[in-house]
Amino acid sequence: MIASFDAIETLLAIGLTIAALACLFDRHLVRASCFFVVFAIAMTLAWWLLGAPWLAAAELLLGVVLTGLCFFYALGIFSPDASPALRRDELHEPWGRAVARLILALGWFVMVGAAIRYVIAEMVYSPTEHPLLLAGIVIIACALGAFALHRHLLRRLLAFNILGSGVFMLLAGLAGTTATAQALIVVGLCIAWLGSMLGALLIRQLVHLEGVEALGCDDEPKEKAT
Amino acid sequence: MIWRFGLVDSTFDPLMTTHLALAATLALPLLLGLLALLFPPKRAWPVALASVPVLASGLVLLAAVEQVQLLRWQWEIVGVTVSLRLNGLSVLLLLMSQWIGFAAALYTPGHMRLTSVGPLGFWLWPLMGALISALSLIWLATDLLTLYIALELMGLAAVGMLLLSGKATALLAGMRYLLLALVGSLAYLLGVALILGHWGQLDLQGLAGVVEPGPVAWIAAALVGGGLALKAALFPLHGWLSPVHGNAWTPVSVLHAALVIKASLFILLQLWSILLPDTFYAPHVIAWLGMLAIVWGGLLAWRTDSLKTLVASSTVAQLGYLMVAFPLLLGPDIAQLPRALAWDGFWLQLIGHAFAKAAMFMAAGNLILATGESTLKGLAGSSRRLPLSLLVFGVASITLMGLPPSAGFTAKWLLLQAMVMSQQWWAVAALLIGTLLSAAYIFRVFRYSFDETAPRHHYQPLAPGMDLIALALAFIAIVLGLLAHFPLALMNGGGV
Amino acid sequence: MNAAWLPLSTLATSLFVTVVILALPEEARKLRTYINLLAAVIKLVLVILMIRRVAAGHEDVFSFQVVGGVDFVLRADALGVMFAGLSSLLWLCTTIYAIGYLEDSVNRKRFFGFFSLCVASTLGIALADNLFTFLIFYEMLTLSTYPLVVHSGTAKALNAGKIYLRYTLTGGVVLLLGTVLLYSLTGEHSFSSEEGLGNYLNDHRGLLILIFALLVGGLAVKAAMVPLHGWLPRAMVAPAPVSALLHAVAVVKAGAFGILRVIYDLYGIELSVELGVTTVLAVAASITIIYGSLRALAQVELKPRLAFSTVSQVSYVILGVCLFGPFGTIGALAHLLHQGLMKVTLFFCAGNYAEELGIHRIDEMDGAGQRMPLTSLAFTIGAMGMIGLPPVAGFITKWYLGIGAIQADMYWVVAVLVASSTLNAMYFLPIVHRLWFRPGPSHGKGSWPSEQHLGRLETHGWLLWPMVFTAMASLGAGLLAGLPFSPLDWATRVAIGEYLP
Repeated sequence: MIASFDAIETLLAIGLTIAALACLFDRHLVRASCFFVVFAIAMTLAWWLLGAPWLAAAELLLGVVLTGLCFFYALGIFSPDASPALRRDELHEPWGRAVARLILALGWFVMVGAAIRYVIAEMVYSPTEHPLLLAGIVIIACALGAFALHRHLLRRLLAFNILGSGVFMLLAGLAGTTATAQALIVVGLCIAWLGSMLGALLIRQLVHLEGVEALGCDDEPKEKAT
Repeated sequence: MIWRFGLVDSTFDPLMTTHLALAATLALPLLLGLLALLFPPKRAWPVALASVPVLASGLVLLAAVEQVQLLRWQWEIVGVTVSLRLNGLSVLLLLMSQWIGFAAALYTPGHMRLTSVGPLGFWLWPLMGALISALSLIWLATDLLTLYIALELMGLAAVGMLLLSGKATALLAGMRYLLLALVGSLAYLLGVALILGHWGQLDLQGLAGVVEPGPVAWIAAALVGGGLALKAALFPLHGWLSPVHGNAWTPVSVLHAALVIKASLFILLQLWSILLPDTFYAPHVIAWLGMLAIVWGGLLAWRTDSLKTLVASSTVAQLGYLMVAFPLLLGPDIAQLPRALAWDGFWLQLIGHAFAKAAMFMAAGNLILATGESTLKGLAGSSRRLPLSLLVFGVASITLMGLPPSAGFTAKWLLLQAMVMSQQWWAVAALLIGTLLSAAYIFRVFRYSFDETAPRHHYQPLAPGMDLIALALAFIAIVLGLLAHFPLALMNGGGV
Repeated sequence: MNAAWLPLSTLATSLFVTVVILALPEEARKLRTYINLLAAVIKLVLVILMIRRVAAGHEDVFSFQVVGGVDFVLRADALGVMFAGLSSLLWLCTTIYAIGYLEDSVNRKRFFGFFSLCVASTLGIALADNLFTFLIFYEMLTLSTYPLVVHSGTAKALNAGKIYLRYTLTGGVVLLLGTVLLYSLTGEHSFSSEEGLGNYLNDHRGLLILIFALLVGGLAVKAAMVPLHGWLPRAMVAPAPVSALLHAVAVVKAGAFGILRVIYDLYGIELSVELGVTTVLAVAASITIIYGSLRALAQVELKPRLAFSTVSQVSYVILGVCLFGPFGTIGALAHLLHQGLMKVTLFFCAGNYAEELGIHRIDEMDGAGQRMPLTSLAFTIGAMGMIGLPPVAGFITKWYLGIGAIQADMYWVVAVLVASSTLNAMYFLPIVHRLWFRPGPSHGKGSWPSEQHLGRLETHGWLLWPMVFTAMASLGAGLLAGLPFSPLDWATRVAIGEYLP
């Protein structure tokens, strides 16, 4: 099913990866949010392509419109007096720590790769036949690295959303687009949107209470899930 | 292990009343919460009145389980199977969450009157309702999709509740909790994806039949376990816990520490017993982390100056007791008797801790509310002015220290016996050291509060009943220790 | 016929009083006093009833299952009711005394509430029929005494409380470990079962010794055996009634009683001798006896001297247990009762001196006999008993212990007894001498540290009469030792039950 759309799929996969990378590592946050919307639209296309129109609709509504709005709301696009300082993030991270986190993310990458090896054995021999799945893995690894690296709350929220999309992509790749898988993904999308909304509200409230600096100070070293 | 979770076929069909009770259990808390948003209750009695049907539905389910031991439900909705089960264990946990939720709800009106709630304050009710509904669903659900939905609903409701106090520190801590919880659920989802991709089903009972040990099971277990451990604040992923509790309202802390954390642990154990039956390393790693958790949590609680941090850190240590029991429950080469003992001890500890921790958070909240100070030093002289709050704290701490007579003690006894029988001397040492450490940090509180030489300051009078609710919870934890036979018999009735 | 309600209601009386007192407001002084006294009397009556039923050959048992294989059992047996009788009798005396002692002080509600809880735990310890039940009440005792030790709320009291907990909770944990090991080895083992653990001797000799060491090590903390005695002298900052109760009955005796239970009813005396643990314990007890006496000699304040005297005296009980033979046992059991009566008298006296005259140091006691004749007389009786002079009760126990030692061919124990008695005389007689024969403030020389006139008699009646009663009881227990139901008679009954099943 997947193999028949090779060229388009590959293009889409590359597009997805680039959009994700741009979204994750662009320091200009408004631009990063725009990239997120682009990424979500690409995801919608991908769902369409994979033969899950309902999922595509859900992605369009929840991912593109609602979640996108959340980010722009958090950035204060809709309120005229928001300070522009919110819209850029400078990384003040010592490089040693950042590298350690990236290694952690790569560890995850390896583990997911190993899992793929056992679940879809044929993929090991012809990885290019599953470009979307491959994109999903790369996106997860990057998003995880970004999540670990960034301290700015909005960027972490963005990273989480990209991570989520990568996981959904992987899920669809592993399990196909069965009803159960679609149900899982829709629930996941809803959760991601709710989480982003909560996060956006929080960020606005924090900026209101403490000023822009509060967003960057989430700097207690925290270990991540795995 | 599988039958202990009730993942076997049931021979009985549920009665009509049971169907109704199930519907009430799952839906009513949420509906009542929404109702309370429209008509916010100012007193405790409307809350008590409204909770009666929920509690009654729990009791109906209890009666049903006592009759037939195991009930199962299964529905097919647009190609997706949803299945529930009700056995002794799940009904016990269900009752636990209903009654603690009830106590927290009763406590809330008094608390709201005495603290300045912001405009967001009344959102507490629907969130509380959603939380209880989600928890009830977690105890009952037996497929990964339903579990995922319930887990996320619970997680978001919990985050929402923790943020309501609206202080900047609370928001920051809440934001971190939100992000970590979301990432945790993605890890869970990825694990589920692996399971679905490899075995093609999400039903736990079906999975239990087809899962064979191998790299897929291991990786899926690691992903699911990591995500849930993050949500359950298992050491070393506990860092978010104390800051989150530091500024939360008392009823929110109560629900979170007593129930939310336990739910993730419950799912973790349930899934691992399917994915990792008789593996050596994973449960042992958890157990070693648990030992560190006991010591580290104890030390954190011992060194802190803030009462809420003390209570929250003690949760980390108490979860350590549960983690230490993992090899007994999941490990290979454990004889029948120690495994049964550890099983009993595990759940007794979990339930006892839930009640005791709820009582303790309420007592700590009362002390902080009355003295107006959140540090231990601020408690000086409170033994004369606030004897009841302090007594509640004391009674609850008996369970936490695991001293007799209390659920904590009986659970520790069972766990110790299982560990001695299976010769896990490290675990024995950890449990005993944990007892001493917890006594050390608990009695620091008393040391300050018994100080008679401190200057007096103004005490805010508490609403009547705020202490009594906490006292009732603490006494339940005590009585559970002495009458442990009944819940354990109910829990084991479904087996063999 | 099994009257299960009897042990239960005896226990419930004190527990119920605890709840009632804690529920009453602080100001309800009169009501609290009535309830306290009423409960103490009811409990005494119930215990007497229980003693009569035991004498008639009944054993009342109350039990329910806690978890599979572990039961909560209360049983009124001869040894148990002996300890229960002591504690309820002295509870009545101490309650009366405490009501007088704490007049006009703060936090009385807390004091009396936990005081009752403390006695309830003691009773539970006495009636516990297996190690699990024993452990429950043993730890309850630890917790309920903490508020009493830190009652005054001063920095010194709080520190004493901290040290008290450090010792006792660690002891409790060791005891818990021993208990769990034992349960894992043998399952539940009732104190009343005829067979000891002899069946396990061949296969598990090392484990049995280890469990014995853990159990006795945990219990020895409360029994204040050297070197685990450090908490006891520090806990002296507590009010006098607490010291009296803690040191005469509740805490230290609970430890000694536990050791009795372990040796007689759990292991069985033959097995203990066979394992060789009794000799070790006897040596430890002897060291404690001598060391405690030496330290007592060095104290210049009255209460610490009495505390070290307790350290020394409680080990007589343990020493007696370790002498394999009926006379040693009789001596040990009788001493459990006699020492309780005498030591409580002495602490009452010390409290009276402190309240009425402000005396805390021994060199302030010159000539107090003239100012407070009854108190001084009681003190003299108690001191003579401690030394072991006839006709006070202490003589009887030392006599029996001596005979027991000779029967068991442990002559060095006789030497220990003689040495200890000499030391006792050396630290008690100078006080008696000061009381009666040295001129002091009442002869117009100097003045009392802070004199108050608390009552028409030499001091407040609530303080005086309990002391007079316990002094008379100590004297009576010695003079009338041959009568039925005297401490000696009951101890003999228990010992016979132990050796002639």
